Amino acid sequence: MAISVKVMNRPDPEDTSYLRAALSGMALTFRHLVNPSKVTQQYPEEPTDLSPRWRGTHRMEVHADGRPKCVACGLCPTVCPANCIRLVGGEDDQGNRYPIVYEIDEFRCIFCGMCQEVCPVEAIHVGQHFENAEYTRSRFVYDLDRLMEQDHPTTLLWDPSDPSSE
Amino acid sequence: MAELVTLTIDGQEVSVPRGTTILEAAKKIGKQVPHYCYHPGMSSPAMCRLCLVEVEGAPKSMPSCVTAVMEDQIVHTESKQAVGNRAGVLEFYLVNHPLDCPICDMSGECDLQDYVHAEGRAHGRSEEPKRVFGRDDFGGDVLFYGDRCVMCTRCVRFMNEVEQDERLTVVERGNRSVIDTFFEEGLEGTHWHGNIVDICPVGALVSKEFLYKARAWDLEHTPSICPSCSQGCNIELHTRDNLIQRIKPRENLEVNGWWMCDYGRHNHEWMNRGIRLEDPSVRTLDGAAGPMKWRDALEQLLQHVGVMGEGRVKAVATPFASNEDLGTLAELVGALGGGDMVYRSVRVEEEVVLKGFPTLARRKDLAPNTNGAELIGFTRVGDDQAAGGLEDIAKYDGIVIIMGDELSDQAEDFGREAGLFVYLGDQQSPAASNAHFVFPLTTFAEQEGSFTNIARRVQRFSPALEPSGMARPAWLILGALAAELNNGDAPRSAADAFSGLARRVEAFAGLTYQDIGIRGAVVNETYVLSES
Repeated sequence: MAISVKVMNRPDPEDTSYLRAALSGMALTFRHLVNPSKVTQQYPEEPTDLSPRWRGTHRMEVHADGRPKCVACGLCPTVCPANCIRLVGGEDDQGNRYPIVYEIDEFRCIFCGMCQEVCPVEAIHVGQHFENAEYTRSRFVYDLDRLMEQDHPTTLLWDPSDPSSE
Repeated sequence: MAELVTLTIDGQEVSVPRGTTILEAAKKIGKQVPHYCYHPGMSSPAMCRLCLVEVEGAPKSMPSCVTAVMEDQIVHTESKQAVGNRAGVLEFYLVNHPLDCPICDMSGECDLQDYVHAEGRAHGRSEEPKRVFGRDDFGGDVLFYGDRCVMCTRCVRFMNEVEQDERLTVVERGNRSVIDTFFEEGLEGTHWHGNIVDICPVGALVSKEFLYKARAWDLEHTPSICPSCSQGCNIELHTRDNLIQRIKPRENLEVNGWWMCDYGRHNHEWMNRGIRLEDPSVRTLDGAAGPMKWRDALEQLLQHVGVMGEGRVKAVATPFASNEDLGTLAELVGALGGGDMVYRSVRVEEEVVLKGFPTLARRKDLAPNTNGAELIGFTRVGDDQAAGGLEDIAKYDGIVIIMGDELSDQAEDFGREAGLFVYLGDQQSPAASNAHFVFPLTTFAEQEGSFTNIARRVQRFSPALEPSGMARPAWLILGALAAELNNGDAPRSAADAFSGLARRVEAFAGLTYQDIGIRGAVVNETYVLSES
């Protein structure tokens, strides 16, 4: 097969010069320099806004007397797709069902929020919180006391005025 | 054969003996008519009103649990009338029901929950406050939550008709009616009251022992045989996290009906016992025992057996071992030239008979397989506390094989003079300290096998738990040794071990695992139940 050569014309210097593009870019930069509207969030000096439906690390609601609201019904470990909740139920001194052990492995958790959705007593919640740095991996298994200590806002998985989204 | 009656249920023709109820006839074609008060083992008061079905020609819905079938009857269990009736009845049940499913132990296996989910209303219409009873201790192992009760009175009828010890009754009337005990006398002292927890269709009667321990849907159910006496009740082991959480009876009309005794029901802690033998170990010349691989340990044992000479064996087995284990032990003893084979078992004074089902009793013999041991050729020694009787074995200088018996009553020097002392067991035992070979065994809950009960019925059980460490079933270990000595084939499965037993022992001849199935089969001898 014969080799054919296609001859290309040398491009117009007008199209290949970077000068015009560089100048227009610098003009944009300069315009932002003097533009009063701010876009950049000054995190971490200023806290970020999270959506009310942001799903972060968990929080256990407590009764006024300090007991956890959890009744150890076992629905959250059952529904959890990541199998990250460990629950051992028992009877407390007043004869109520309560969790003797309640642990969530936040590393294994996929933050789907189904535990909150399934909870019949609105005890376990996912929260609007993501700053979870720790020095050891084991600290990411949150036990019951740790979950009750959390004080960040809880996630709104649905509109309270329209719970079934109708 | 009783006269057959043919009727049509939901468009399906079915023939049943005259006198059968519509509910039982529907069961035959796989239609479950919802019901609470009806139980096949007791009388039917037809008071729950849930099993009402439409019968063509009848002026109103008929309670299917007491209505006998008639020729050419046409029954609808799914018609608008029947379904509408059930929805209405279920709504009434929920008027006072607390709907505390999240904290109720019955949740997940509750008939009220199931039926309401299937056919009930999504929301109740009652606006009245619910009446509240709270919780009551009925004594024994039973707690009563009156609010959850649907007044089916199965528990009352069980105590009256089956246990025949009237301890429960209905007090008050109508809306306020509730099950109660007589004054302060609860269920304490009765021997079968655990069954009322099983037959309660809702979470009104719950077991104190199981209270809040596990959710029903987390439990795995394994068919098994109760090892607590020689009755051999068919049971289910309910396990979670490799632990037995509770025992429930499994229906078998030939053996235990629907029931089991409280002694067997609560005697399961030992199955979860933690201190176990986990590795085969061999005592070396300087007396120290070290863990070993199975292959090495068995090969060393075979070398030692070779120099011991023929017919110098004494074997002690536990009647908690399966037919397969005892059979392969007998085979091994035979391969070594024969010798004494004995077992020891606990016996109590009295049988505890269930009056309403007299073929069921907690037997005198508190081991599941004494009959199997007898048939295979073991003889009973020792007293009724399973102690003593091993005097000549303790000082014996031939081969001593101990299988399962923990020898807790024996002196520290048991078997010190033995030429070869092999200990097979699941527990750490002081008696094992003199053993040359210690082999870890699985418990009955960890292996497949069969027991021969008091009526010489062979019944199979299945493994429910993972074995601990390197523990193996005895038939596997002993079968391999016997096969090596006999130049035969080692059993590869419990079924294999059983067919080996069937070849060697007359009583088991012709039986296979397939024949035994899940209901059990009687061995080849006639046997009178009252004999023992």
